[in-house]
Amino acid sequence: MTESAAIAVEVVELGKNYGAVTALKSVSFSIESGQYYALLGPSGGGKTTLLRLIGGFLRPSAGHVYLHGRDVSHLPPNRRPTSMVFQNYALFPHMTVERNVAYGLKLIKVPPGDIRDRVDRMLSMVGLEGYNRRMPHELSGGQQQRVQLARSLVLERDILLLDEPLASLDAKLRKEMCLELKRIQEKVGITFIHVTHNQEEALTVADRIAIIADGELVEEGTARDVYETPNKRFTAEFIGDNNVLEGTVSHTSDTRVALDLDFAKVEIPARGAALSTGERAAFSIRSELLRITGRGEDMGASWQVVPASYVEDVYLGLTVSHLVRLPDGTEAVARVMSGDGDENRFEPGQEVAVGWPTDRARLHIA
Amino acid sequence: MSPSPARRGRELPAPPARWRQLFGENGIQRWVFYIPVVFFVLFFAAPMTLTVVWSVFERTQFWMEPGFTLFAYDNFFTSARAENYLYSMLHAAASVLISFVIGFPIAVFIRRRVTRAAQHRVILLFILPFMISELVRVFAMRPVLGRNGVVNSVLMDLGILSEPITSILYSPLGVIIGDVMSFLPFMIFAGFLALEAVQNYVFEVCDDLGTGRVRLFTDIVLPLAAPGIFAGSVFIFVNSMGVALVPTLLGGPGAVNAGLIANQAIVALDFPLAMAISTIMIFTLVLLLYIGHRLFDLTKILEPIS
Repeated sequence: MTESAAIAVEVVELGKNYGAVTALKSVSFSIESGQYYALLGPSGGGKTTLLRLIGGFLRPSAGHVYLHGRDVSHLPPNRRPTSMVFQNYALFPHMTVERNVAYGLKLIKVPPGDIRDRVDRMLSMVGLEGYNRRMPHELSGGQQQRVQLARSLVLERDILLLDEPLASLDAKLRKEMCLELKRIQEKVGITFIHVTHNQEEALTVADRIAIIADGELVEEGTARDVYETPNKRFTAEFIGDNNVLEGTVSHTSDTRVALDLDFAKVEIPARGAALSTGERAAFSIRSELLRITGRGEDMGASWQVVPASYVEDVYLGLTVSHLVRLPDGTEAVARVMSGDGDENRFEPGQEVAVGWPTDRARLHIA
Repeated sequence: MSPSPARRGRELPAPPARWRQLFGENGIQRWVFYIPVVFFVLFFAAPMTLTVVWSVFERTQFWMEPGFTLFAYDNFFTSARAENYLYSMLHAAASVLISFVIGFPIAVFIRRRVTRAAQHRVILLFILPFMISELVRVFAMRPVLGRNGVVNSVLMDLGILSEPITSILYSPLGVIIGDVMSFLPFMIFAGFLALEAVQNYVFEVCDDLGTGRVRLFTDIVLPLAAPGIFAGSVFIFVNSMGVALVPTLLGGPGAVNAGLIANQAIVALDFPLAMAISTIMIFTLVLLLYIGHRLFDLTKILEPIS
């Protein structure tokens, strides 16, 4: 983390138990001010617990939360510089859009004239001008979430927490809202922390992504890093469409690790991993990097090639997935763009070869 | 419903034609939708109409005969009955108010402080008294509230009283206590059901915004539960006005309700008077509902929140 940017959120050895159930195990990380940060992970992995601990809706069982360098671990939500956007149904159903947004300002006794200005400004920011007098039940799901966003942003706190804000929207609307959220975050310039289980959503909005699973921080990095060069096997299996293969280390050098897959020997970039001969190791290749050719065709010196048999092709609209089975029974997927040489050259059961550029495979230590 | 060949193995023999006629779309299935209409006419519209019509009939020695006279209404408004009726409304209003003050906080407590899984069990506890006949429950108040009752003896043993209070029983106070005891659960149920429809997120938003306890109650809980509170209030008010049992057992001179006044008229074989009292009660309640509707918009009771 660079020293130049101010740290908005710092979490130190934060843990949360519910009786014997551990929801979060000693998580530490920090978020720079003004970043769009996503907490991504499977359901029940502890990401919402983490967000609620940052927001003050839960008390930590262990560890501390620092916001702008101040320990806020035991402050209630309203005394933290955070505001939360909830999953759904969180508008006051008996208040108009305007009163919903204004309510927080009324509580801190902002003069009525100022309230009106700030509410109008915020409603136009989220694209809801003229909706002042509507009731929540007259709004669509997307519009309700926009009102929630306005209600939180109008408080002018510097960290916005979003708990699966788009989960109940349909796919198309979710995509639109993702870009909208990103645009709003860039405009207001405050820190956004966005919890989601949807990788596409996280990749769209976030500057940085933290993968949270089983109550632990698995991996953290920029969206591009996490997608293209995941360190952990879990990340590779969770994000993108990856082929994960396992083998035994047969030889190591400074730059390469040779793995014995039982049916083939391959070379993987070492990435600084300290492995010794005989250890088990896994590596992954993104499905769009995998190429299928006929047996014996030459792919080039910088390619790793293993034998396989062709299974079938699956048309997915934008892409076509070609399934192959490796000699040990694992299935691998090669994805190509539709209409871009996707015509099938192979018959099911045909002996083929699959290959990938040597330097694009990523070794996973854990 | 033609049997599909794919399900041949599970095919049932076709029912005989006569059955289909009886239970099919032209038989019971069709008429079943009219049951509510029949129920409404038989048990609501017809008795109400007869009540109004009979209230203007001529009184005979044991029954009444067709005619038109306002004698019963004249009798009602020029006797102590009108005054008692007004007091009865006042006592019913007091019962509603006390039930709200005691019952609504219980509803809020159950919704907010009892874990989700236990909430319905706690609500069930308040249904238990209904397993015992109301007659028994109300009658059992006598040894509690009476001159030598539990309340008086405890207060005297503690030295708080030197003389027993005799005005608890056979007085308006006794009737109000009896009504609250009998009908309090309705406020708890209605309040709880209204609050149950409010999503937890709404309370968390209040934590986030820093809504204090008082404003949480006045700005959020009360408006969201208002339709439920009104429904519970109407129920308690109607019963406090109409159930003759409570003032019969716990009331006394000047501590009657509309139901008991009508009952007494029936005992005196003055049926037109009893019908007139009932008619006045119907119109009183319709008027109150109309006022409530203008204030709260009663259609919201059935409208899902959010």
